[in-house]
Amino acid sequence: MNATITVPAITVHRLTKRYGTVTAVDALTFDVAPGLVTAFLGPNGAGKTTTLRMLLGLVTPTEGEALIGGRRYADLANPRRTVGAVLEATGFHPGRTGRDHLRVIAQGAGLDAKGVTAALDRVNLTAAADRRVRGYSLGMRQRLGLAAALLGDPQVLILDEPANGLDPAGIAELRDLLRGLAAEGRTILMSSHVLSEVAQTVDQVIIIAAGRLRRAGPLTDLTAAGETLESAFLSVTR
Amino acid sequence: MHTLIRTEVLKLRTVRSPWLLLGAVPLLVIAGISGLVMSNPGKLADPGTQANALAHVGIAALFTLAFGILAVAGEYRHKTITDSYLTTPGRGQVVGAKLVGYAVFGALAGLVASGAGLGVAAAWWSAKGVPFAWGNSAMWTTIGGGIAANAAFAAIGVGVGALIRNLVGAIAIALAWVAVVEGIVGQLVGNLARWLPFSASQALGGGDGRDTLATHLLPRLGGGAVLAVYTALFAVAAIATSVRRDVA
Repeated sequence: MNATITVPAITVHRLTKRYGTVTAVDALTFDVAPGLVTAFLGPNGAGKTTTLRMLLGLVTPTEGEALIGGRRYADLANPRRTVGAVLEATGFHPGRTGRDHLRVIAQGAGLDAKGVTAALDRVNLTAAADRRVRGYSLGMRQRLGLAAALLGDPQVLILDEPANGLDPAGIAELRDLLRGLAAEGRTILMSSHVLSEVAQTVDQVIIIAAGRLRRAGPLTDLTAAGETLESAFLSVTR
Repeated sequence: MHTLIRTEVLKLRTVRSPWLLLGAVPLLVIAGISGLVMSNPGKLADPGTQANALAHVGIAALFTLAFGILAVAGEYRHKTITDSYLTTPGRGQVVGAKLVGYAVFGALAGLVASGAGLGVAAAWWSAKGVPFAWGNSAMWTTIGGGIAANAAFAAIGVGVGALIRNLVGAIAIALAWVAVVEGIVGQLVGNLARWLPFSASQALGGGDGRDTLATHLLPRLGGGAVLAVYTALFAVAAIATSVRRDVA
């Protein structure tokens, strides 16, 4: 086995974030392997979003490290070509069109402008691309966020509640898209509350509660005793 | 850096709200000059009146201040700052590009406003039958100072927006400072008042009557130097806080 890792994976080691006396993320350690879809689960306030934001360099850890391909996000040579991220579906200027939102990202990251059209097609947003985001539904905003994440053709995808607001067809498309991307060897980490959907999409599961790791492993291990993912999740996070 | 400034320009080109603020700069100058002429019709021949008319260019810097605030606080409001920092994790570079790009746009707004102001002033003078002295050097230095004030206030606005981040709060605090607070602070500190930022900008872009104000202003170049120092301080503070703070 060659020591060089060609596909970046995610490594989180003793990651901690404290806000004053509140510990949002508490010595969290886990890895995410390439070629699989990994769910990142936990109750509200468990520290999922804070963890994902630390991975993306938006929030500075108090202690520990969150690495992508062995590097901090800020040290990546081409972050948009390495990592695609979907965070909350609100990061758009309401007066800018979806296409222009992607053009701004492409220009800033030095990506080919042709990729904008391809990304819009890939998430089925072409028909609405030249409308201002103000008129988009939540599902359309999620699609636009996904298009932005895919723009740089990244090897790693980090998604925070990407199914939120999607209609059944959108959820099915998202599932197929993520499965396809994982089959190409990419690393996918996705937080979600929709456990029935997660059960159909993911290979690996990481469960946290109160900022601490509760369970990490294959989905099949968690549901081996014939339990549903929901009942397993509830007993693990209790 | 070149790519980042071009990206800031693309961000501006693809939305409308900043252009309303920039467009207000020449409109304010045109309205201000017209008001001055209509309320002082007998003074057009005074040598200082042309400079006083074109001093409205510097006053319009209030709009470039708000325009600059929009650069950062607007991105926090719409949470597009997340995507900006994901694209360019070097946050100091993002804020630096905004400082440079918005200062240039502020200067351009001042330039357009100066052209519009000169045209309107010349038309008014001609309508009133008074020759318009194109070689009036006090007028030209006033215009130069006004354009510089527009550029500086756009950059200061970027700094205020980065420090306060809440769009409404940032604009309210900036306007309150200019309209009320600096005057009160000025009274408390006496003769030091001329070193305050808005007084410095009046020294830089003010017209003929600027030394007859209650507080003695600095000379024009002195005002410019003081405003440049404030701009640099806001720029440093903007970059330092942006690099450190979490984007949640």
